[in-house]
Amino acid sequence: MITTSATSATSATSATSKSLVTLNNIKKVFFTDDVETHALNEINLSINKGEYLSITGPSGCGKSTLLSLLGLLDTSTAGTYQLAGHEASDLSRDERAKIRNKEIGFIFQAFNLISDLSVAENVELPLTYRSDITKSQRAEMVKDALEKVDMQHRANHFPSQLSGGQQQRVAVARAIAGNPSIILADEPTGNLDSKNAQVVMSLLDRLHDQGATICMVTHDPRSAARAGRTIEVFDGKIVSDQLTEKSQAVVL
Amino acid sequence: MSVSLDIKYAARLLAKKPAFTALTVLIVAIGLGLTLYTYSLLNSLVFTPLTLNNDKPIYAVEAQYDYTHLSRRPADPFDLYKLKNELNLLEDLGVYQEGTTFVGGAGANTAIRKFNSTYVSWNIFEFAGVQPILGRGFSPEDHFEGAEPSVVLSYEVFQNYFRGDESVVGTMVPLDAEPNRIIGVMPEGFAFPAIAEIWQPLPQVSVAATERSYNGVLGFARLADGVTLSQLRTEMDAYSTELSTRLDEDMNWRINTDGKYLSAEPFKKAAITQYYSMFMAMFVVVFLILLLACINVGNLLLARVNQRFKEIAIRVAMGVPRKRLILQMLWESIFICSVGGLLALLLAAWGLEISNQVFDQTYAVDNLKPFWWHVQISTNGILLLLGAVVAMIFITGYIPAWRALSGDFNAVLRDGTRGAIGKKAAQASKVLVISEIFLSCVVLMMASILLSTSYSAGIADYGVETENRLTAQLQLPPVSFGIRRDTEFEHADRLKRSAFYYALKDELESQPNIEAVAMMTELPGRGEGTSYYEIEGREAPVYNENPYSNNEGVAKDSWRALGMRIIQGRDFDHRDIGEGVLSIIINESIAKEFFPDGDAIGQRVRRANPGNKGEWNTIMGVVSDTFHGSTMRSSSTSYNSYHIMDNWGLFRVNMAMHYTGLQVDAEKTLLQAVDKVNSDVGVYHIQSYDNLIKQPMMLVMAVSKVFLLCGIIAAFLAASGIYAVASNSISQRTQEIGVRRALGSSDAGIMRLFMLQASQQLAIGLAIGIGLSIWLVNFMSETMIINDLSYVLGMLGVPLLIIFMVLLATFIPTQKVVLMEPSEALHHD
Repeated sequence: MITTSATSATSATSATSKSLVTLNNIKKVFFTDDVETHALNEINLSINKGEYLSITGPSGCGKSTLLSLLGLLDTSTAGTYQLAGHEASDLSRDERAKIRNKEIGFIFQAFNLISDLSVAENVELPLTYRSDITKSQRAEMVKDALEKVDMQHRANHFPSQLSGGQQQRVAVARAIAGNPSIILADEPTGNLDSKNAQVVMSLLDRLHDQGATICMVTHDPRSAARAGRTIEVFDGKIVSDQLTEKSQAVVL
Repeated sequence: MSVSLDIKYAARLLAKKPAFTALTVLIVAIGLGLTLYTYSLLNSLVFTPLTLNNDKPIYAVEAQYDYTHLSRRPADPFDLYKLKNELNLLEDLGVYQEGTTFVGGAGANTAIRKFNSTYVSWNIFEFAGVQPILGRGFSPEDHFEGAEPSVVLSYEVFQNYFRGDESVVGTMVPLDAEPNRIIGVMPEGFAFPAIAEIWQPLPQVSVAATERSYNGVLGFARLADGVTLSQLRTEMDAYSTELSTRLDEDMNWRINTDGKYLSAEPFKKAAITQYYSMFMAMFVVVFLILLLACINVGNLLLARVNQRFKEIAIRVAMGVPRKRLILQMLWESIFICSVGGLLALLLAAWGLEISNQVFDQTYAVDNLKPFWWHVQISTNGILLLLGAVVAMIFITGYIPAWRALSGDFNAVLRDGTRGAIGKKAAQASKVLVISEIFLSCVVLMMASILLSTSYSAGIADYGVETENRLTAQLQLPPVSFGIRRDTEFEHADRLKRSAFYYALKDELESQPNIEAVAMMTELPGRGEGTSYYEIEGREAPVYNENPYSNNEGVAKDSWRALGMRIIQGRDFDHRDIGEGVLSIIINESIAKEFFPDGDAIGQRVRRANPGNKGEWNTIMGVVSDTFHGSTMRSSSTSYNSYHIMDNWGLFRVNMAMHYTGLQVDAEKTLLQAVDKVNSDVGVYHIQSYDNLIKQPMMLVMAVSKVFLLCGIIAAFLAASGIYAVASNSISQRTQEIGVRRALGSSDAGIMRLFMLQASQQLAIGLAIGIGLSIWLVNFMSETMIINDLSYVLGMLGVPLLIIFMVLLATFIPTQKVVLMEPSEALHHD
């Protein structure tokens, strides 16, 4: 692995014309029972279009909080956030929902498929929130997404009828169905065995190769190494921002 | 040791949340208490067969119930004895007629008092297995013509009227002014067949009939060995069918239009035929409330399990055996249901005590309460309660235990959350919500319809003034007011009776505190029942296609005492009295409906019974509308016609007097006037007009109050239950909401989704609830008129209320979850 200093890496990837995500001085403080918990502090981060980024760090360091902020699942206490040219810091709840729907694809550790819905319906779900897609277009997009993860043969099954690896592949299909600008993955292999984890990671690799921008939180160094860039979070701060061997190999 | 630890843990959990514990115990107590109360009530009134010192139940054998007049119909004794003697269907049979008799007076040293007298066949005491404590019972010879008139006293009459003087046995006492010998005294509490205070023997023709007659009796019987009730009914129907083909025309009124004649019913049930459907509806409603309570408690415990899911997962990880886990879940239910059961016992006992007081008040005036109408908790009731407690422990404990055992503990322990709700759990939540909706719908609809109907009946306009009106019944002694039928004296004898009533009316109206007096066969507000009549020139080909009305006899100049008035034509006067003079006054409703051109006066009408048409009566006047019978009884009507009572020579008359000053003074004036005009005439059932109208509805009003209680409880259970179930269901879907929002759903979209799902559950629940309610209301409307307002209130108001409750119960918890940040919802524990 080739490492650079955190400062230089940040500056190297600072806002450019290709930047998809830009975080400036982001802070997140949780207030519970008179206790202030500084989950994130002075976060500056830029993610370029087509980049494959992994976020690592020990438990409780703030990496999932950072991913929640990136995914507009939560709001920051301070700082600014730009996503795909939109200023995302001061958006209303519905505007944030719209951006999540169009620009972001989520993959969760616990899959978070809806048990009442079939595989196809789960994949279709984010598309149903968009008024600019017709029913036939939705069906086509669902079919494409399921084909990409090789799950079209299970389209009419329910999540409870699938293995963990299959459920996560469906979750990946759901994340990519709407052609989002960025895919956010929170410990995507955390609930999987090594074989299934390998399948899912290969899937993400393939998506990246096809041009997807991916930001992944992971504990697993092997998974992190598959990304082109890794940032390490510790005590709510980015302590390192590195290009990985894979990235260097591409550069070379 | 482990069990004691589990109990201690369950107790600690319950003590930690006293409000939760109190609420669940209260719900259980209410559900079980109402069930025990209703079961005990119906058990005493209907379910437990009357056996009286014998293993075999007693059945009422008589003619088919008359739903037009809501009354039991006597059968010909010739036919009843045939069932026993020739068809061998009955092991033992006795017959009786109920009436009232005046005891004392007629020169005796005792005051005259009215008692419920039952005229019986001699075998009544042998049949009941109860013998007199003093003297003797009846013998077959007591029925013979010329036998010395005899009477057996109840213990209560013996103690209260004869002051327990044993020497009265064997002495003569005036009954309706005729001397009778007291031959015996029955033990305390004995009043068989139902309300007897004294017993007199029926005439020989009623116990040894050799042919059919106009005579009618009710029967009490035990079935012959090997004969079942359904067999007896089948044989009775076959007998009726066969009889209908050869019965003389003057006797075919015995056979109903459906070809049936005789009926057999459990003895207790026969006494409450008119209320049976109402009691059964009450039983169904209470059972539904119990189910509602079960679901509520189960759901509260389920919500608690959801909160404790992680703790349960840890226990599972530690290797807790499945049985032990279920038992641990059950301990809370055992505690809640057991304490609730004990409270239910107290609640039911309290309710039954009140019911006994209500029965006593209801029948305080006429003492018509059947002797078995003393309700209490029986051994069967205790067993039912124990069974219900066990069932409730199972139901309320099983729901959370099932949830606890069906969860994905691995997922819970791995990601620290409860995980997404399983498909089965989601379906169970839907079923719970739908159950809550349909159960509350039925209970609230029934309660609101019954309450509204009985309230409307209570405040209904009966067309009469009731303020400062005193009512009473007058009964003439048959000895001094006998009628020599089929002789030249018959009409004169009838006029003699009427003369007494007019003498009393004159005497009363001469008193300074009496404004006016009315006399009628039945006063407005009472005396429901209708007959068909033909209008001359407009006779319908079939008798029951003619109009119908209630018919009453009335004294001259009675309207003003009741606040009624002649609208057209004239009142009855001397021109209407005399043999063959047939005048009639109709009320405004009949005039408007059938003589819309205002030409009623001078038209002629006559009764139109099947095979029995009356004489033509000329309409002399039109009087303002009144309503006879309660407005909530199907036998009541607003069509009334009146005949002058002078020509009838009535043995018994109802009177109402308009007084000034105090009611108690008016009562004194009445008693003094009767004493002055003829001291042998009995005056009884003295009460205010308001009380007279309310009295037949008192039982229904009392049951309505139970329904009101059920309604309040149901509303409380429904509101809290629907909220709890919906809230719990939505709480379990917090992560799903988080996922949907993460995928881009707007707040409004989430809200719309949950409201739509709630609406689907509402539609299913309401469809089932309304369907069941309509069936129950139809069942009740056999004997009760449900007014239109009550229908609208029940069928529209209740569903609207439930729709509001469900949507609110969905909106509040959904809004709460929607207001969370998606990240918080996703990691909701």
